[in-house]
Amino acid sequence: MNENELMSEIKDANLNYLMLAQQLIRADKATAIFRLGISKDIADLLEGLSNLQLVKLSSTNMMLARFRFDDSSILGMLTNYTKDRSQAHVHTAILMAGQTAEAMA
Amino acid sequence: MDKKSVVNESEQIQLAMQMIKLGARLQLLESQTTLSRERLIKLYKELKGVSPPKGMLPFSTDWFLTWQPNIHSSIFYNIYKFMVDYADVKGIHAIIKAYSLYLQQVEQDTDAEPVLSMTRAWTLVRFVESKMLKLQACSCCGGNFIVNSYDLNTNYVCNLCHVPSRAGKTKKAKELTYKLVSLSA
Repeated sequence: MNENELMSEIKDANLNYLMLAQQLIRADKATAIFRLGISKDIADLLEGLSNLQLVKLSSTNMMLARFRFDDSSILGMLTNYTKDRSQAHVHTAILMAGQTAEAMA
Repeated sequence: MDKKSVVNESEQIQLAMQMIKLGARLQLLESQTTLSRERLIKLYKELKGVSPPKGMLPFSTDWFLTWQPNIHSSIFYNIYKFMVDYADVKGIHAIIKAYSLYLQQVEQDTDAEPVLSMTRAWTLVRFVESKMLKLQACSCCGGNFIVNSYDLNTNYVCNLCHVPSRAGKTKKAKELTYKLVSLSA
């Protein structure tokens, strides 16, 4: 894959993410805030964006969504579960739910 | 609040219906809606086709501390806390939303009963509000888990970082692994 293709993949992912986020928020805001891990201010903002604004926002060369596990030791522990797959699943759920929402500065 | 308002009454019925569908007991409905007991029983029968179960609600905090229930109640309470802190919902609405999310998190066979019932989830929230139970961060993974407020909780290690030797090894789990092995073989 050359560089241009990679860039357009990123833009695609950005647009997909924004559209999904907007759909989730419009369907049920409280649930969407939990699923996306964002604050209410950001959810309100995303909800009101027009399609044109979404496209503009997504056409950047950088990913808009950030990885939610910023602690490498926890991530390692969760991916190295050897015994029981379902335990890894619930452990991830607890750790994800315990994180704070991404807030606007 | 005007109790005779038709709009308000229909809202209350919607709320009660939502809770009954999630498996709430009558006591929970009575305490969270303004509808009369007779109407709630009628509504319950209409939705479920059977009379509501009788008897007292479970009232022990110990249930929430045993291995599997503790994990499930910790998932629920973490979601509930997130909802209250960040999503600007509170009270019974936060419990209903968090409980639906919990059900999606622990996806399982539709006919099997979820480990944590709606009524138990509500009881859990009340226990934490009355400071009988609380959340404690695990010293190993940093996740928050339900513990007894009066236990010694320094250097607490959660049930998932330190799994008890026979935990989760039920007859049902064994059957499931057999099934998986025979499928992959």
